[in-house]
Amino acid sequence: MARVSKGKYNLQVAAIMAIYVALMLFEWPLVGKTHDLAWRVVLALLPTLPVVAVIALAARRVMQGDELEQRIQLIALSVAVGVVSVASLIGAFLAIAHVWKVGGDVLIWVFPALCLIYGVMHVTLVRRVTGACDFWAC
Amino acid sequence: MKNRVRELREARGWSQGELAEHLDVSRQTVNAIENGKYDPSLPLAFKLARLFKQRIESMFEPDEGR
Repeated sequence: MARVSKGKYNLQVAAIMAIYVALMLFEWPLVGKTHDLAWRVVLALLPTLPVVAVIALAARRVMQGDELEQRIQLIALSVAVGVVSVASLIGAFLAIAHVWKVGGDVLIWVFPALCLIYGVMHVTLVRRVTGACDFWAC
Repeated sequence: MKNRVRELREARGWSQGELAEHLDVSRQTVNAIENGKYDPSLPLAFKLARLFKQRIESMFEPDEGR
């Protein structure tokens, strides 16, 4: 399997995320105006398609990485999953105890939080191991 | 782990990128190995030894006190 260059990978992710943003701006507002249940479900779930595509791209990139790259990805992902899991548990316990009034829509932040912490950890680890890191090269 | 990867690479006049291509790893991985920030796996260490026609123990030496 030929390795996809970092530049090409970043470009593919940016293109898919642009589709996601376009869907959220132009398609998502239609959800509230649609009365047919089936269409509501379709419109509500449509933005998950580009997210799944980005996850598939990321998974392919990890599979193509060498041993150091895979190790860095694993550590970054483990920290991100750990932090988000603990934060979710704390939020859930506080909500159950009626200390924090929170709606189900807070779940929309789980994936972005995971990506953010993963990204920060990844850049930090690459910088520590290689001495320097251009954000787009990481 | 101390190693002689940089010395052997430079003796062949290769860049880090060229060595990375020979090993099928990223340039960052070669850089990290050369700077002692990352110890390669046994298969990668053998690949390096075979590439430079060296015995593995002549290329890698454990750091004293570690």
